[in-house]
Amino acid sequence: MQAQLNAPVQIQGLSKSFSGQSVLKNLDWQIAPGSIVGLLGRNGAGKSTLIECLLGLRDIDGGTTSLYGENTAQLSADTKAKIAYVPQRSDLFEWLTARQMLAYFQQLYPRWNEAKVQSLMQAWDLPFDKVINKLSIGQKQRLSIIRALAHEPELLILDEPVSSLDPAGRRDFLRELIDSVIDKQTTIVFSTHILSDLERVAMDVAFLHEGHIVHQQSLDDMMDNTVRVSAGYTVLQQLQPQKILRRFAQGDGRLLAQFSAEQLQALQSRTDVRIDKLSLEDIFIEMTR
Amino acid sequence: MNAPASPRQLGAEIFQVTTGSSEPIYRQLIEQLRRLQAGGQIAEGDAMPSVRDVASELGVNPMTVSKAYSMLEAEGLLVRRRGLGMAVAAQASGNSDIESRLELLRPSLERIALEASQLELDAKSVITLLTSILKGK
Repeated sequence: MQAQLNAPVQIQGLSKSFSGQSVLKNLDWQIAPGSIVGLLGRNGAGKSTLIECLLGLRDIDGGTTSLYGENTAQLSADTKAKIAYVPQRSDLFEWLTARQMLAYFQQLYPRWNEAKVQSLMQAWDLPFDKVINKLSIGQKQRLSIIRALAHEPELLILDEPVSSLDPAGRRDFLRELIDSVIDKQTTIVFSTHILSDLERVAMDVAFLHEGHIVHQQSLDDMMDNTVRVSAGYTVLQQLQPQKILRRFAQGDGRLLAQFSAEQLQALQSRTDVRIDKLSLEDIFIEMTR
Repeated sequence: MNAPASPRQLGAEIFQVTTGSSEPIYRQLIEQLRRLQAGGQIAEGDAMPSVRDVASELGVNPMTVSKAYSMLEAEGLLVRRRGLGMAVAAQASGNSDIESRLELLRPSLERIALEASQLELDAKSVITLLTSILKGK
């Protein structure tokens, strides 16, 4: 992997364990400017841990994490101002009203789009003067998203941003993300288990499995080229995929792999091989099995 | 049946996307536009909705929409008009002959051919079945 000096996100050899349980194992990850990356992994795979380590919110056991070329542990004020984070659950500032909380954050950032705050608070039907701990979980999540978008970050990191929103709320949120990408080329990293949302907005997907980013690719390319191949053992051995994503135990006779368009066409006319095109959900299940 | 009308401004609602399918969204958009063109629902000179409108209306990444538009342009189905965005290309109206519409069925038919061979069915019985389905029996 080629190191990019000013990549928004650059992780090398990151390790993290909790009471002897190794969660992230020598993990490498890089995110290019302007990309929208969906981070996928099963429950407990360590998505939140990875995001928290990346942001310097947790001590790490080994490796380096940097944002815009600066070590996460020593970010300059300039770089901090470029970054926004929406945690999965936020229990901070519970005693403030939304208005007070937003005013507090406004002081921290050189840039602040008050017009956006006003219009989103209204569009998403959020009360300015209610104490935050009286808001529902979904309202808190929306407020947290507004706070993150208000200072027009260049890098937006969201941990399960829509887990408490209903479908209409999720769609509103996706529209906001899309607008911010069109206007400002924001780099966005979000973890989610709601694959339909990811399909709509992600350019790239990254799979976190067993402590590593096991695969990262453009979503379109992955959907176009990935198939599940079922065949006899010797037949499978003879195939020459461009990339093998998962090989299932011998005897199982299945392979999750990527082939070129020509290869796929040739494979489809064979009678001794069964080819299945997969949905993102199927690929996710096979990748993290 | 439709007289040459003056070019229209098409809206984002000409597209719809399905998630959870094995077809990536940019391919769904391409396929839908091909069908509209083959079926004569869009005509030469009709102005395409902007990338931004489609992205925002469907809640999809604008890059996905512009990728579909560029591929349709390369295919000759759309033309880029300087400063005005994309429009349906000239050949579009003349292109909706039987062959090109038939060509749209090819992917489905290829899938049927594959399944037929996996089920070890001969061509004749498959065609007999298809014929009776087409006749609505």
